[in-house]
Amino acid sequence: MSHATHQTVKLHRTLYMQQAVKDAATTFADFAAFTIKRDGDYYAVDIKDIDPDVDGDVVAEFCNFALANTAGRKKSKKA
Amino acid sequence: MGHPHIEKLDPKTHTMTLSLDIGLYPADVLYAAAYVFLDRAYVLLDRAGPRFEVHLRGKGELTEAQLTAMSGEFENELLAQALRRKVIKANQKIIEDITSQAIAGAAGGTLPTDFLAAGDDGMDFLDDPLGIAVPWEDKFKKKKDA
Repeated sequence: MSHATHQTVKLHRTLYMQQAVKDAATTFADFAAFTIKRDGDYYAVDIKDIDPDVDGDVVAEFCNFALANTAGRKKSKKA
Repeated sequence: MGHPHIEKLDPKTHTMTLSLDIGLYPADVLYAAAYVFLDRAYVLLDRAGPRFEVHLRGKGELTEAQLTAMSGEFENELLAQALRRKVIKANQKIIEDITSQAIAGAAGGTLPTDFLAAGDDGMDFLDDPLGIAVPWEDKFKKKKDA
C-alpha cells in the first residue's frame, strides 16, 4: 500500500476515455484532489491530498475505476 | 513475439507486466479480460509501440508462482474473450432475431403475421351483432314496453 500524499498517474489516451477518467476522479473526490491534464499521448492525473486514513490504495483503486468506466463506456457505445 | 509474455515479475511488490501484440488482441478483448481481473488485482493498461502493456498488482500478497499463474489466467481470459467476440460477431443476426421475438412475446404485442392468419368474416365495421352500439335508453324502453 502506498502512503504518499501526492502521486501522478499517466493513462494512455488511446486506452482510457477522458470522461471515464473524470468520472473516476469524481468518485474518489472525497479521498483526494484530482487534476487531469493532457501530456502528449497520456492523461496525466495529479493526485494530491490523499486522505491518509483511507484503508486502501486510493491511486490504484482510481486506476481500476478509470479502466472499468472506459470498458463500460466503450461497450455501451458499441451496443 | 506473438503471444503474450511476461515483461516483468516482482514477487516483492506483487506486480507483473504482460506484453501483448496489438495485432493479435483487439482493444475490446483487452478491456474485457482486464475487467475480469479488477476484483483481485490493480490493473493499469499502457501502450508501448506495437504492443499493449498490462501492469497487474495483486490486491493481496502473491508469491512468484501465484503471479505466474495469474499471468496464465490472464492469457486464458484473453483467448476466451477473443473467442466470445468471434462467436457473437458470427451469430449477431440470430441473436438479434431471437431477442426481438422474445421481447415481442413478453410484451404480448401483435405481430404483423397475426393479421395474415385471421380470416375475413365478411362483416362491415358498422355491423353490431352484439348490440354494443345500442343506447341503453332504447334497451330499457323495449323492456318496459314488453
